[in-house]
Amino acid sequence: MIFGFLKAPAMSPRLHRLRNSSLFSSLTPLELKIVDGLMHERRYLGDEIVFDEGEEGQALYLVMSGRVLISRSRGSAFEVVAELSPGSFFGDLALLDNSPRNAQARAIDNCELAVFFRADFMALMDTDAVIGYKISLALARHIGQRLREWMSGRPQVEAL
Amino acid sequence: MNGEEGAGPVVWSGIIAVTCLLLVLLEHTLWLAIPFIFGTVLYYLLLAPTQRLIRAGAGQNLAALTVGGIFFAVLTLAVTIVASWTAAPDNAWQNTIGYYLEGGVAFVRNTMTLLEAKFPILAEMHLTSMVNKRFKSFTDNFAQQHLATILVGAAAWLPSLLLAPFLTFFFLRDGARFKKFLARAVPNAFFEKTLFLLHQVDQTARRYFQGLIKLTAIDTLILAFGLWAIGVSSPLVLGLISAVLAWVPFVGSIAGCIMVVVVASTDAPSNPLVAYGAIGVFIAVRLLDDFVFMPLTLGRSLQIHPLTTVLMIFVGGTLAGVAGLMLVLPLLGVVMVVGETLGRLVTNPRLRARHRNALALRTRQASIDLVA
Repeated sequence: MIFGFLKAPAMSPRLHRLRNSSLFSSLTPLELKIVDGLMHERRYLGDEIVFDEGEEGQALYLVMSGRVLISRSRGSAFEVVAELSPGSFFGDLALLDNSPRNAQARAIDNCELAVFFRADFMALMDTDAVIGYKISLALARHIGQRLREWMSGRPQVEAL
Repeated sequence: MNGEEGAGPVVWSGIIAVTCLLLVLLEHTLWLAIPFIFGTVLYYLLLAPTQRLIRAGAGQNLAALTVGGIFFAVLTLAVTIVASWTAAPDNAWQNTIGYYLEGGVAFVRNTMTLLEAKFPILAEMHLTSMVNKRFKSFTDNFAQQHLATILVGAAAWLPSLLLAPFLTFFFLRDGARFKKFLARAVPNAFFEKTLFLLHQVDQTARRYFQGLIKLTAIDTLILAFGLWAIGVSSPLVLGLISAVLAWVPFVGSIAGCIMVVVVASTDAPSNPLVAYGAIGVFIAVRLLDDFVFMPLTLGRSLQIHPLTTVLMIFVGGTLAGVAGLMLVLPLLGVVMVVGETLGRLVTNPRLRARHRNALALRTRQASIDLVA
């Protein structure tokens, strides 16, 4: 009982779902549990706005269930950028700085999102550099992938 | 929040009004407020090692228990060692206090005599005899008038002070859970901004209390060095007590200065220069503290305008006495962050519209299969 913490924690279905995301795929079960402890759970109804274009970004969102539509305004019209399914994440640039969101996120149907707040990520970088570098590397790879897609002219999910 | 306009006069009036209201409430709940402050200071001291244990795989409970247990074991050990070093008969403390009080009174009398010799007008006013009479009446009536009140007060305060370690344990164990619990109650439209608000409140309190601990350590060392240099006994203990007393603006500094001068004048009764030197050291440290260390530690933490700071210290003292003086700044810092953020949330038409839309969606979904 006392030395129970030396054992790797059992993976709950929620931790499995977190691990399915490319952002957290390299984390160990214990690291996943620590990150999960920092994340907030939010439920959105279909058609509810998650965040607006131009709004200051404070957090990254991970789709746990349901679908999310990413769109941006082009004059008076709206351009659909992407439709995200479970395991995808968006708003990732908010983890790096507090620049304005460059697209709007809206729930397509009832969905459950896990929210990773920037301040918690920054504190994690200070207190647990290993988890911090693993997430940062995954984030850098994700942004690099988008850059390659943009350079090859392929459609890509805009950086938010 | 960067790039957004600062709070307007209405929000600021609200911030000051709420701070004053909290100060009035504080005066009536001191028995809870003081252990709460000690609990918060301990929480911020022990948070980093607790988080390290959690990162190492320990649960919240185990981490909080281990760190709290080790801290209080070390504290108990330190107190036991100090007590055994200074072990003395039962009446030794009374004798020591009496000895230093007599030394202090003798220093005041000598200074008065010296002043009367230098300034004849003071001799004509019978300054020394007047001060002697005051001292005599105070010491003669002290036991009847004040001792019982002080003892009853101490007995009433002791149980509430024992609350502090309990509060620290629960802050360490449930702090993160409580933050999540609060965030869960916030509507989606305001969620990100509220998370930022909670973070700012936490940061403000953390910076203030960590700044206070740093300031106490710096004050203790500098004052101890100065007192050691002029030959006053127990410089480290005096430095530490004065630094802790300085947590209370104005009054605490004066009390610390009187204590240092009393000890210095008793240590060297035939040499008043030591006591004057102690006053000089104390003033120099206070100046360094006010103009160098405090802006570097506490000043940076709260980011409040200096004029507001000074005015609010007076307001705090008027409304809630010594506790008000001590607590008005951290209280104002937290209320300021909450007030400014709430002001931005309430005055943001887009966020309010999104919230109304979310409510409408919820109502529609809840009543989708209901027949009118």
